[in-house]
Amino acid sequence: MTSSADAVQRAPPRAAPAYPGAHLQLVNVWKRFDGAPALRNVDLSIAPGEFVTLIGPSGCGKSTLFNIIAGLAAPDEDGSILLSGRVQQNYGLLGKVAFMPQRDLLFPWRSVIDNATLPLEVEGAPRKLARQKAQALFPEFGLEGFERHYPHQLSGGMRQRVALMRTFLFERDLLLLDEPFGALDALTRSMMQRWLLDVWARHRRTVLFITHDIDEAIFLGDRVVVMTARPGTIKREERIDLPRPRAASLATSPEFVEIKRRLLAVIEEESLKAFAGTAAP
Amino acid sequence: MTAESATLRMMRSPLPGLVALALLWGLAAPAMKVNPRYLPPLGLVLADARSVWPDLLAGLWRTGEETLLGFLFAGVIGVGCGVGFAYARFLERGVFPLFVVLQNVPVIAFGAIVVIWFGNGLAAKAVIAFYLALFPIAVNTLRGLQEADPERAALLRSFGASPAQIFFKLKLPSALPSLMVGLKVGVSLALAGAIVGEWFGDTVGLGVMLLQALYVEEIARVWALILVCGGLGAALYGALALAERRLVWWRRA
Amino acid sequence: MTFSSTRRWVLAAAALAIGGIATAAAEAADAVSIRLKWVPQAQFAGVYVAKAKGFYSAAGLDAKINPGGPNINVETLVAAGADTFGVASGTEGTLYAREKGLPLVCIGMSQQMTPFAFVTYDNSGVKSVKDFKGKKVAVWFTGPQYTLYSMLAHEGVSQKDVEIIAEPFSMQPFIDKQYDVATVTLYNELNTLKEQGINNIRLFLPDDSGVTTQQDSLVTSEKMIHEKPQEVQAFLDATLKGWKYAFQHKAEAVDIVMAAGSGLNRKHQELMLDEIEKLMTAKLGGSQGLGAIDMKSIADVQATLLKFKALKTPVDLNAAFDASFWKKVPDADKKL
Repeated sequence: MTSSADAVQRAPPRAAPAYPGAHLQLVNVWKRFDGAPALRNVDLSIAPGEFVTLIGPSGCGKSTLFNIIAGLAAPDEDGSILLSGRVQQNYGLLGKVAFMPQRDLLFPWRSVIDNATLPLEVEGAPRKLARQKAQALFPEFGLEGFERHYPHQLSGGMRQRVALMRTFLFERDLLLLDEPFGALDALTRSMMQRWLLDVWARHRRTVLFITHDIDEAIFLGDRVVVMTARPGTIKREERIDLPRPRAASLATSPEFVEIKRRLLAVIEEESLKAFAGTAAP
Repeated sequence: MTAESATLRMMRSPLPGLVALALLWGLAAPAMKVNPRYLPPLGLVLADARSVWPDLLAGLWRTGEETLLGFLFAGVIGVGCGVGFAYARFLERGVFPLFVVLQNVPVIAFGAIVVIWFGNGLAAKAVIAFYLALFPIAVNTLRGLQEADPERAALLRSFGASPAQIFFKLKLPSALPSLMVGLKVGVSLALAGAIVGEWFGDTVGLGVMLLQALYVEEIARVWALILVCGGLGAALYGALALAERRLVWWRRA
Repeated sequence: MTFSSTRRWVLAAAALAIGGIATAAAEAADAVSIRLKWVPQAQFAGVYVAKAKGFYSAAGLDAKINPGGPNINVETLVAAGADTFGVASGTEGTLYAREKGLPLVCIGMSQQMTPFAFVTYDNSGVKSVKDFKGKKVAVWFTGPQYTLYSMLAHEGVSQKDVEIIAEPFSMQPFIDKQYDVATVTLYNELNTLKEQGINNIRLFLPDDSGVTTQQDSLVTSEKMIHEKPQEVQAFLDATLKGWKYAFQHKAEAVDIVMAAGSGLNRKHQELMLDEIEKLMTAKLGGSQGLGAIDMKSIADVQATLLKFKALKTPVDLNAAFDASFWKKVPDADKKL
């Protein structure tokens, strides 16, 4: 185990993969806290309209990466981030990426529709227009009739859909979703996953979806990216060529199980490393 | 969301408690032969109140005016200070300790200064009400603003929100519950300030009457004034509690 | 908390401020203010009567009466010029103010004998001031404590032998017999005790021990005396005239006080006026006229205070107590 970890660390920095038309491209991104790296040499490219899921052991720097891509944190100066081929300054991504954090972060004093229109409101859109736009999405998000309700009156799944609608209404081509279904029960989660794929199929936005659930990663993604234990870097990328649209039964198909078996081995190794890291500092 | 039963609503209102207290006072106190110097019978207190009701009414009006004036200024300036402290660290570090020191200076010690600076009128009393109410309002505003969820602030920033937008859409609503607590504490202190302020020399007001009653030891009058002051305090507090229910209703959910 | 209600309050405040300025301007001519040491009551009947009966305005003064309270130091306010005249604490208060360097001058004395007295129950075993030894004596530490100290000194009782404690605002602890001797004023607390039906008490008057401290001094500032002596004279004339009128028309005087105050008890005010009359017409008040300054008693008080180190340095009594105005008050105004 130790030797393989060393092998990974000693591996020479890979050249940034050439994705000429990449929507989002991270090149040699580092983030150190007091000198200790949390992210190390992250290279990642996402094509327009691609659905990429990112998975890794807890504490691997996923949320650090998330904050950097959302423009909320600045990466160290070693690397660069490109959006549609253009280099982004620190915090330059603020307002360019539609992100959705783990918690729904709905504002309890706002009605469902007013929560959904929040990004449009911030952008200065006329209230009426914003509401019209939001209203059009309500049936698709399964929230019809709940416009005037308040967050505390909704179930967890519904709240998550409101949050997702809010993210959608912040009309950016790149969606950054951080474990949006993490807090939901298994049944609701699987329904939400299929529903998300549905919505994605219709709107075809680029999605980077962070999760710690391997089934979810495979089921949703065009590509699964596995991160190493801290300091996090990309350890493995696996293209998922399972046919779309994907049904719930897919999760038991031999192809799915085979992919899962392969990825599980990699993740297990990293998880153990992360565990050892916390157990013996 | 569901309609509450009338009984339940009754139980939650302060009415039954008041009735119970009145019964206890009116019936139990005489039955237990409580020395009327300590607690005069309720009937006697009410009769005394009735005998001077025009004075009580004038006093109520005057003290109420002083309280509200002081409280409103304390509200505006206190919230302003709280916002200032929340946004300017140097203010919090430089001015806030001064606030704490001032808060601990007994206003009573300043009789002459208050009179020399602010005269003998309404203003002097309102200033004392203001002085006492300012601190809790400012501190609770600051605390409330600090309670705003940083993740929600990050979300708003990701939408490209300006600091002003973050303030009005997130921080201020988040601060409201704490702010309302500050206002409720503040209004009670403002009332106390107005009453004590009248001890800096005046002819009308509940504080003047209280002073007079204490001086000549008219115990029934003292209790009548306690009731009226309590009523005024409860009304002011209740008005704010009502406002709070309308403004921060989501907290109860 | 709506904006409209806030605005209304701001407008109200502005209106009040403007109103205040307007009245101040209208009264600018000979406007004077008189600061009392307490809220309106018969203790100040003469002042209220002088105002109500137009004695002040007839003397060319537009007088405003400012009530006092527990947090008000009349000496400070008058010395600072915040108030023109005052009915201040008394002999000791004037001495302390002068010692502190306040430019305060006493131009008359209302109460001619010590208004404080010490009460005990008949059966307490305290038969004279000498018996205070070893007893619990409650006194207000707002000035009367020095009267007690003087009195003990005159009776040859060491202060250390008496357990002196602070007396609260209320007579209740005395009623509950929590201490042996309590301080009262003859015009208020004594009446309170009597109204409670407590008559089994013995009274010790400081004057009987040879301690006279005149109280309720009429004061003004040195500045007023130098710059507007005629106003000072007018104030003293009218005030004493007011007192004379009050004693000659007691019912009317009580009416005037009742109207000036808020929620006053008429019977209490009547009793108070009776006692105040006794205090003001005692000794020099009877022989020479209302408001007389007893320089001998003042010198005695100063000597005692110095002896007990309550006063660190002697005060120039002729500068602190100026009887020249009082001497010029017509006998018709001050002699009953």
